[in-house]
Amino acid sequence: MTLKEAAVNPLRAGMRVNRAADSCAVVVFGATGDLTARKLMPALYNLARERLLPGGFSVVGFARRDWTDEQFRAVMKEGVAKFSREPLQEELWESFARGLHYVSGTFDDAQAYARLGERLGKQDHAHGSAGNRLFYLATPPDAYAMIAQRLGEARLATPQQGSWTRLVIEKPYGRDLPSARQLDSSIGQVFRERFIYRIDHYLGKETVQNIMVFRFGNGIFEPVWNRRYVDNVQVSVAETVGVEGRGGYYEESGALRDMVQNHLMQVLALVAMEPVASFRGDAVRDEKAKVFHAIKPIEDVSRDTVRAQYSAGAILGQMVPGYREETGVAPDSRTETYTAMKLEVENWRWSGVPFYLRVGKRMPKRATEVAITFKTAPLQLFRQMGGDNPTPNLLVLRIQPDEGISLRFGAKVPGTRYDVRPVNMDFRYGSSFGVAPPEAYERLLLDAMLGDSTLFTRWDGVEAAWELLTPVLDAWADGASPIKQYEAGSWGPDAAREMIERDGRDWHRM
Amino acid sequence: MSGIERLADRPIAMSPAAIEEEFTRIWRETSAAGADDSSIRLRTLNFVGVGPETWTVERFERVMDSLPQRHPCRGVLAVTSPDRHGLEASISAHCWRTSTGGRHVCSEEVVLRAGMEDAHALASTVLALLVPELPLTVWVIGAIDLEAHVIGELIDGAETVFVDTADAPDLAVALRSLLDAHRRHDVAICDLAWRRLGVWRSLVAQFFDGDEGLRRLTQLQAFEVVGGTGVSSEMLLMAGWFISRLGLSLAEVTRGTDSLTATLYDGSRGVSLKLSSGVTEPARIREVKVRTSEAEFVVQTHPESNHMHVREEWPGDSDRRTVEQVPIDDASVVAEALDDASDLPVFIEAAQAALALLRD
Repeated sequence: MTLKEAAVNPLRAGMRVNRAADSCAVVVFGATGDLTARKLMPALYNLARERLLPGGFSVVGFARRDWTDEQFRAVMKEGVAKFSREPLQEELWESFARGLHYVSGTFDDAQAYARLGERLGKQDHAHGSAGNRLFYLATPPDAYAMIAQRLGEARLATPQQGSWTRLVIEKPYGRDLPSARQLDSSIGQVFRERFIYRIDHYLGKETVQNIMVFRFGNGIFEPVWNRRYVDNVQVSVAETVGVEGRGGYYEESGALRDMVQNHLMQVLALVAMEPVASFRGDAVRDEKAKVFHAIKPIEDVSRDTVRAQYSAGAILGQMVPGYREETGVAPDSRTETYTAMKLEVENWRWSGVPFYLRVGKRMPKRATEVAITFKTAPLQLFRQMGGDNPTPNLLVLRIQPDEGISLRFGAKVPGTRYDVRPVNMDFRYGSSFGVAPPEAYERLLLDAMLGDSTLFTRWDGVEAAWELLTPVLDAWADGASPIKQYEAGSWGPDAAREMIERDGRDWHRM
Repeated sequence: MSGIERLADRPIAMSPAAIEEEFTRIWRETSAAGADDSSIRLRTLNFVGVGPETWTVERFERVMDSLPQRHPCRGVLAVTSPDRHGLEASISAHCWRTSTGGRHVCSEEVVLRAGMEDAHALASTVLALLVPELPLTVWVIGAIDLEAHVIGELIDGAETVFVDTADAPDLAVALRSLLDAHRRHDVAICDLAWRRLGVWRSLVAQFFDGDEGLRRLTQLQAFEVVGGTGVSSEMLLMAGWFISRLGLSLAEVTRGTDSLTATLYDGSRGVSLKLSSGVTEPARIREVKVRTSEAEFVVQTHPESNHMHVREEWPGDSDRRTVEQVPIDDASVVAEALDDASDLPVFIEAAQAALALLRD
């Protein structure tokens, strides 16, 4: 072979990053917002620091404020200094900041998009970004359709010969099934599905990705990962925080829209999906979609769902107000800050195994976990011999914090009797690896630049989740499962406990 | 994560059973001191160092001061010295706190010292001290003689062998020994000098990414590496990597005291290769330059910081950026290599090409 015939870079062979992102410009809409300074810019800076960004990389911030490039760089520098997982290094920042630019304009101003196009053209020349664009919508959701439309009109959504254009969209993707479909239709008029990257930052978390490694990278778990051996699965997200001054936003959202429709459903899909044969193309997203379509619609919303709001209470010894006393929250608000529900995945693997989901604010501790409870041994041998009744095996995948995996099993207590005591085998990321994992946004931004959409949600998955949950929202609006109260600092309302106890089970203690 | 603390460092009788017993006693004492419920003992590999006593112990212990935080292990160092008679052992335990949860995580280290006449007993003692079912990594510290008795015995059971060709008094002999050991023992060879090149290789590769980069491959004119004193193993491996990855053939090699030049061929097109010494110590690479008919790429280390400066120039324009140099101390390089050793075939081909440069 001569070098004329090389189709891939032969110097990349054997390297951890064996495929590099093309030179490109990332255009951030909503560049003056919290997300950009808190998450996106620190992530890009850390990618640059780790030499994972291509040469000729640049960022164009787009927002209403009348800033210059210098002002934009100064504010972003503050954000990186405050929120980056690694300290800001002046010399690296100076080098990175040379590629930061800013265009001022409102999201509906066609002239501003023309200016954006000119700026991108200049950057293609100055930085060699080759016409590749990643448009990132870090804006309020009601601007998504407008921005996509204007990008189309300004011919910025159509890639030039040999280059690419991709669109990254933050959650929420709609607030119910009709609005999600409307949004998808609007965006679909400008961008094809394969160029749309819907971010769910949970999928960028190392421990969420480890669910797949745990299941498909080990031989011993998959054979018992089914209805024959699993009694129930619980996906729990507990937060100690309240609405943190975002009462206005949260009033329009609620726990189901904010967490269940996206994060919890994605985690559930990773736990329940069938093994993939490869990570190529859409393999993982195909399998996740099959799970979403296999979930049985919730027939009795009053029985199988619970919603509640926190009332005043104490978190870590500090008194906190109730939800209805938070700024921006209506005194008679019916928005849920807690929800629990029971789902059933009706397929060959999982039929008859309940999946319980729960998410709540102002819980006693912050934790995200998947707890898989296995069926007890068929014969209670040691009870017959005067010993204890063994508790079922429990596998807990801790997603955050104190990331790790633990397996509970019964062991004989030393002595003359067959007393059995549950003990834990514990794996902790912090103890075993000793390196700080990258932030979720680092992985996801790099994947978007590389054109790898495996960890992004696809429309059919989003739509299926809304198909399942919109009837719940509708039933709640009609008064089903009336909203309950729970004291801040507690594990939620009694109704949630009663819901799972009806099945003869308990919530896993986090 | 906070630094490592040595719980104990005490001499002990040279017997595997006595050593295991002493470790048990240390952990029991730790429990009795009330740390039981917040301490865990963790081992994911056996990390064995072998070499002469004179300068091996300090180097190995510097690695053990941080490696267990990323790769919890039982560390065993076996050293020999002409001034010593008989066998001695000392053991220590390393504990550190994780950043979350405040738990102590602990691992273990044994140092075995032998006189030259007792060297034969070292390998069997090391083998008896290995934690069963865990992978074995052997670090040959200093001169690379992989067929020496102690080393040969250990390599047979090892998954990975670390060496540092920068330590080799005769690089050609060292490379031949590595390639031979790889063939004969079916073991993964990891050269620390090669791993220190990771950042240089990735930056050079970046220049050839994408369609534009592939076009540059067809316009190659020159590849130049500037290092410290002499033509070091790192410079030769860098050149060997470039030659082997691009499938270039080699001709007209000229070796001077502090330089090496050659002409490389891609078909009938010639590419000049130059390895030359700078004025600085130590013999690390300072600059790599690639020239094509239309563009030039230069990456340099910054003499006073841990940064690297990258400059790309093409007709009418240029791009400059600063990137972070990765740590190249032994502990960081070993830890990184244990995380990912997937570049072994690339290293083997680079070593073969480097050897060809020395031979021709």
